[in-house]
Parts: sequence; C-alpha cells; structure tokens
Amino acid sequence: MANTIVWVHGDCLDPHGPALAAHPGAPAIWVWDDALLAEWRLSLKRIVFIYESLLELPVVIRRGDVATQLRRFADEQGATTIATAQSPSPRFAALSRELRHTHTVEVLPVAPFLAYQGTIDLKRFSRYWATAERYVFDKTAQS
Amino acid sequence: MRREFADRDDLIAYLRAEFPNAAATDDNVAETRGGRAAAEARLRQIEPQRYGKSRNFLTGAVTKLSPYLRYGVLSLAEVRDLVVGATREIESIAKLVQELAWRDYWQRLYAQMGDGIWKDQEPYKTGFQARQYANDLPDDIRDGTTGMVCIDSFSNDMRTHGWLHNHARMWLAAYLVHWRRVRWQAGAHWFLQHLLDGDPASNNLSWQWVASTFSHKPYFFNRENLEKYTDGVYCRQCPLYGHCDLEGSYEAIEADLFPNAQQRNTTERVPRRARRAN
Ligand SMILES: Cc1cc2nc3c(=O)[nH]c(=O)nc-3n(C[C@H](O)[C@H](O)[C@H](O)COP(=O)(O)OP(=O)(O)OC[C@H]3O[C@@H](n4cnc5c(N)ncnc54)[C@H](O)[C@@H]3O)c2cc1C
Repeated sequence: MANTIVWVHGDCLDPHGPALAAHPGAPAIWVWDDALLAEWRLSLKRIVFIYESLLELPVVIRRGDVATQLRRFADEQGATTIATAQSPSPRFAALSRELRHTHTVEVLPVAPFLAYQGTIDLKRFSRYWATAERYVFDKTAQS
Repeated sequence: MRREFADRDDLIAYLRAEFPNAAATDDNVAETRGGRAAAEARLRQIEPQRYGKSRNFLTGAVTKLSPYLRYGVLSLAEVRDLVVGATREIESIAKLVQELAWRDYWQRLYAQMGDGIWKDQEPYKTGFQARQYANDLPDDIRDGTTGMVCIDSFSNDMRTHGWLHNHARMWLAAYLVHWRRVRWQAGAHWFLQHLLDGDPASNNLSWQWVASTFSHKPYFFNRENLEKYTDGVYCRQCPLYGHCDLEGSYEAIEADLFPNAQQRNTTERVPRRARRAN
C-alpha cells in the first residue's frame, strides 16, 4: 500500500521530473483524456509521440475521465496523496481543484528557467526580456 | 493500456486501433521518436553557435527540440544550463537562449490567461474588425492544394512530419490570416492537431502575434523574403513564379492587404520592413 501516487501529465514526461523524483517507486499513472482528444481532434502522430515517451516512464496507462481514473487508481493503491508536476494549463488547474475535494494534491515545481522570483512585466516580450536577460545567463544560478 | 510492443510498427498498429478518431483526423506518423532517450540524442546534436547565424533559414541549425520541450521530456532549464555551461562567450549562444526564453514567456502568459488564450488579446491592427475574418480553415490550405508550392509544401510537411520551421509557420500563418482573411483561431486549431510540439501557449500567442491581436502590427512578408530564407527551393518549381499573391514590395503588399489600416509615417515603416522572425 502506498500513501502517494504520482500523476504524470503532458507538461512533464521527464523520467527525472519532480514528482517521480520526489516519490521514487510510487505507483504512477497517465490518463488519456478522452474528452480532450475529442475536443481537439489530435492526429495520430501526436498520440504516437506521447505514447513513446510514456513507455520510458514507470507509469500505468489508462484512459477516460481524468479525475475519475486518478481517484480510482489512488483507491486501488490505498493512497491519499496525488503528487504531480506544476503546469500552466487551465485544465490542470481545474482537475487539481476537483481532486482536492477527496485527496491531498501535491504540486511540485519544475526547475525554473529563470532564477528570479520577482514580478515580471509580460506586456510584450521586450519588457520580459529586459528582466530575464539579467538572470538567464547567470551560471551561478544554475539548477 | 498495453506497454509491451514488438517494435514501433506494432505500437502504431495498436494506437490506430485504440484511437480511430485520431487516425481519421490524420493517419501519418512522424519519424521523430518520443521519449527521453531520443530527446537526449537530439540534445547532443545541437549547434548553439551556428544557430545564431542561421536560424532564420529553412536549412539553418535549428535544434528541433520543441516536441521534447513541449512535453517536458526536457526542461528549458536543463537546455539553458547545457548551452550556457558549454561556453565562455555568452554572445555566441545568446540567440538560442533568447528563443528558449520565448517559450518561458508564453508559458507565463498562459498561466495568467488560461482559456482566454483563445480570445483576441487586442483588436487587429489591420484595419479590419474580427468579424470580417472567416471562421473556417479553407480546404485548399488544409489539403495543400492552393497551387502555391510554398504554402502547399508547408501544409503537407506539417501533416506528414508534425513539425515546421519557425519561418514556415510564420509565412503559413500570415498567408492564412492576412491574404485569405481567416481568423487566427482556425489556423491555431489546425496547427495543434498536427504539430508534435503543439502547445496552446506558444502556438496561440504566436498566431496572435502574426495576426496583430498580440502585437503592434501584423506580420506579413513577400516572395523575395520567402525565396531568400528557403534558398528558392519552392519558388524555383512554382508555376506561379513572378505572378503569385506574394509578389511585390512590402509597401505595395501592405497597401493591398490592409487598405483601411491607419496611415503610418515613414519612420514606422522601416522597422516593419525589417521585422524579425521571433
Ligand atoms: C504560427 C506559429 C505557431 C507556433 N506554434 C508553436 C507550438 O505549438 N509549439 C511550440 O513549441 N512552438 C511554436 N511556435 C514557435 C516556434 O516556431 C517553434 O518553437 C520552433 O520552430 C520549434 O523548432 P525548434 O525546436 O527547432 O526551435 P529552435 O529555433 O531550435 O528553438 C529552440 C527552442 O526554443 C523554443 N522556441 C523557439 N522559438 C520560439 C518561439 N517563437 N516561441 C516559443 N518558443 C520558441 C522552442 O521550445 C524550441 O524548441 C510557433 C510559431 C509560430 C509562428
């Protein structure tokens, strides 16, 4: 019985990603989001690329409604915590919110591109770059 | 679902059967392999110095890391570390780091915008209202049958390989939005169906940048520009050469495409003409 399962999603298919690294050996799962596939009408080549990436990860592969499948998998494993990597996607935010009703959701940050915590003006790339440029080449800030 | 396969063909046959709708959308499989091992192999081949000088050319030393970055098989941070760590001359690799930064920038915006990423962030600066653009992707562009060798090749390449050079994406997007006057959302959705790196942040915001709903002015180009950065491979075999829709000076094309756009003064024209590929 594991206390934690790892939810692997499409913004972090790295075998050294933060969730898999924080919970080595924990049962891990990927769920094909059938609603998303239907909505976006993704072509086969995209699915093949993702599937090949999954085959290098220690994950169980399922499909259907993502929240339902994750809960089922957590129950099968007797887990109360779902660990996963951070993602900017609104669908990820909605799913995490939903899962929090029944489980603890641990969202782990991926290594940041910029070692800078302050606010950045995102109005145009030039403004972002004016700040980013000062941190991005800093070798001492390497992760 | 299954995890054991005899070989790639076995995997593909399985996925065709499991995801018939995806195969119906488009049945091609790209030669680009998924997974960390393939990503690391690709990473060993990048040429950051040559990149800076050649990236705008279709034959330039672009990295083709995008599908791996999109799915987080590789992180932006590790690619940055590798590139920056390998040289003392930051100048020589600065261009590649800046392009990686574009991804970071779009991702940060996505975190703020959410599904708003599908909405025009600003009005078009083309002299047209959003409602004057068609909603649907024209069949001849989707099927690669416009008769323009460049546009048809880009369309076919994307469907076959799931990847296009940045400049080709810009030309194809500009052609669709400005020459055919189609809403950028139609093109963005089409790209996401096919690009292995398809990602709402980089994709939709790049489309908005071309369209001018997230930039000060529309991105457009002419035949000369396309010919230069493609070494003429498309134009040389094009029956429309000399009289295609992309012929003419920037001024003439601008007047033709955006007749209702506000008159700009000449100082504004200069940067527009030289507008870089982002
Ligand atoms: C209309 C349009 C749609 C696009 N759709 C996508 C998309 O869905 N997904 C995507 O990753 N990129 C998209 N781009 C950006 C860019 O074209 C691709 O990232 C790039 O061509 C990928 O090839 P590469 O890996 O060889 O890039 P390289 O030039 O080698 O750059 C290295 C990496 O930096 C990042 N990068 C480079 N340029 C950009 C850019 N302009 N914006 C964001 N990231 C960049 C990518 O992650 C890329 O892998 C789009 C651009 C346009 C104009």
